Amino acid sequence: MPNYPHSTTRKPKQARNGKSGRNKKDVWYKLDLSAIVYPTLQRRDFSSVYRLSVMLKETVDPVLLQAALDKTLPRFPTYRVAIRKGLFWRYLEPNTRPGPYVMEDIKNPCMPMPFKGNNRYLIRLYYFDRRISLEAHHCLGDGTGGMCLLQTLTAAYLDLLGHPVTPEGFVLDIHTDPDPEELEDAYMRYANAQVCPPRPAEKTYRVRGTKEPFYTLNIIDGILSVQEVMTVARKYNASITEYLNAVLLYALLQKQNADFHIRLRPVRIAMPVNLRRFFPSKTLRNFITMVYPSIDPRLGNYRFEEIVEHIHHYMRYYINDKFLRGDITTNAATQRNPLIRIVPLFIKDLVVRTFYTKVQDKNSSAGLTNMGALHVPDNMKPYIERFDIYMGQPFSSRTNCAIISFEDILTINFASSIMEADVERYFFRKLVQDGIHVKIESNRTL
Amino acid sequence: MSYCVNCGVELEASLKKCPLCHTPVVNPLQSNTEFPPSPYPTDKGQVEVVKRKDLGILLSVVLSATSITCFLLNLLVFDASLWSLTVIGCCICLFVFTFPAIFYSKTPIYVSLLADGVSVAVYLFLISFLTSSTTWFWQLGLPIVVMLTVCAEVFPLLSRFFPLTILPCSLCIFVEIPAFCVSLELLIKHLLNRPYRITWSAVVLTVCVIIDFALITILAKKRLRNEVRRRLHF
Repeated sequence: MPNYPHSTTRKPKQARNGKSGRNKKDVWYKLDLSAIVYPTLQRRDFSSVYRLSVMLKETVDPVLLQAALDKTLPRFPTYRVAIRKGLFWRYLEPNTRPGPYVMEDIKNPCMPMPFKGNNRYLIRLYYFDRRISLEAHHCLGDGTGGMCLLQTLTAAYLDLLGHPVTPEGFVLDIHTDPDPEELEDAYMRYANAQVCPPRPAEKTYRVRGTKEPFYTLNIIDGILSVQEVMTVARKYNASITEYLNAVLLYALLQKQNADFHIRLRPVRIAMPVNLRRFFPSKTLRNFITMVYPSIDPRLGNYRFEEIVEHIHHYMRYYINDKFLRGDITTNAATQRNPLIRIVPLFIKDLVVRTFYTKVQDKNSSAGLTNMGALHVPDNMKPYIERFDIYMGQPFSSRTNCAIISFEDILTINFASSIMEADVERYFFRKLVQDGIHVKIESNRTL
Repeated sequence: MSYCVNCGVELEASLKKCPLCHTPVVNPLQSNTEFPPSPYPTDKGQVEVVKRKDLGILLSVVLSATSITCFLLNLLVFDASLWSLTVIGCCICLFVFTFPAIFYSKTPIYVSLLADGVSVAVYLFLISFLTSSTTWFWQLGLPIVVMLTVCAEVFPLLSRFFPLTILPCSLCIFVEIPAFCVSLELLIKHLLNRPYRITWSAVVLTVCVIIDFALITILAKKRLRNEVRRRLHF
């Protein structure tokens, strides 16, 4: 049974039909299963914010962009919200305050997003030269939901410029009401395995480095050709994701070997998997789970070919509907437990934050996400050059890597809050060694 | 179009050094001043400061009103003793304790703890006006506050050098407790003009020393440390 938005005045028919018959003030949304964790981790210097960017072929007009945003946002009710605290859980409620406003882009993306700042909106929209960037707090939705908003917004912007775009794929029709399924917590629909598999919990290698001052996020973008990467990946009998995962693990292993260490630790990557591929859902909220491909150097020296093979088999073994359903069920078990549900929010916050800091955060050496090949409507293609995705500021000192491709351009975006770029260097040098042409862009002050 | 000679990657035209290895871009065909602007913005954003002004105003008004009304009540109605000083001191302590959380969150922890200690000392000083003599304050109250403040300051200081997990924290606490108890007993003896001999604090000292040795052994031996973690996990 889908978990639809809640209302204190029940009008189920209207809710199912997606009509806006209800008083907007009566609507509220429970946080989805993933979203519960993100606000708990909020610190003065950290928010779970990710960034999606689209680079157009012409300079962006901020006035038209604001108009496009105003037209688009009502179509995405779960992105036009403010987060509030209840006694037991946080929740989202529609935000009718003025905004959000389009701003000129800044050097330090994904900066912390205080819940009471920005008129309580949890999204930011920036423009710079030819680039439109959307930053969203992860408690609203995952990269797929954010990409839907960004592409629909870009389509509305192009429409205002006189280039109409046919709604298709990620581009939604802004003149229709949102489908209730877009607003559902899809986890609860599929968290029905009969067993809750345990999770790996072992301390892994942590990238050490000099912490950058507050408000700094170092970005290194690598721009590659999809065809070139695919050819090399095929040479190793792997997909692009598997190959790039292996390269990152290889880079982390090299970094660990080069660092001073008393004993070696396993190297593990936290990789979000889009569950929509396995469990049909139109939700624009979070619907991802994490898998952790890893290499344990204590077992011996791994050659790169062996790492690729290991990752290839790991992915085939774990990324399927059975294992993923089990993983979602494990996640949902805690939220369903009646004893946990009645614990006051501040105690839950304390416990979750401690668990995340002591266990979950130490469970991976780096983050890697691959949004895959993006498709846009045919009549939108001529205006778009490329997309970028940034996983945002890491919770602790490490590097996050995000990959996205559009047409033949594959962009690998590294974001980190440490000064050293050793992991990035090992990563891109390996790609160059494999014969891939890499172009580097960076916001680092050198 | 420049390439890094170390990494082999093509560098975006505005980059003067390779961001991966910091090797400078030296292109003989391009002058050093001919770098185009960066494709990234140059202005830094600032996180919007969420003002807790309302809560701060409310707290200040409530505490000030409590202090003033109690003082007036003491002055005009119940004037047998200076009892309002205890309420005023309490309000000062509350204000100082909540200051870092509400008014200025960037207050360094050392300054916050010092201010807390000073406010408690002021509170005790105000109470001393209600008693016949202030000797107890100077010889016992103030030194106790100073010792407690120093004990509290040790934690943030140590956390800069060591990871403050449960075992090192316990060790620190079990070093501080006997030191505090022995000093306390000596201060009491000094106040009562008795000879400086430790009695009850010697028991605390002995127990804590045993615990300290046990903790040091556990911290030093990895096998023991893991065993304790396993047995006491929660």
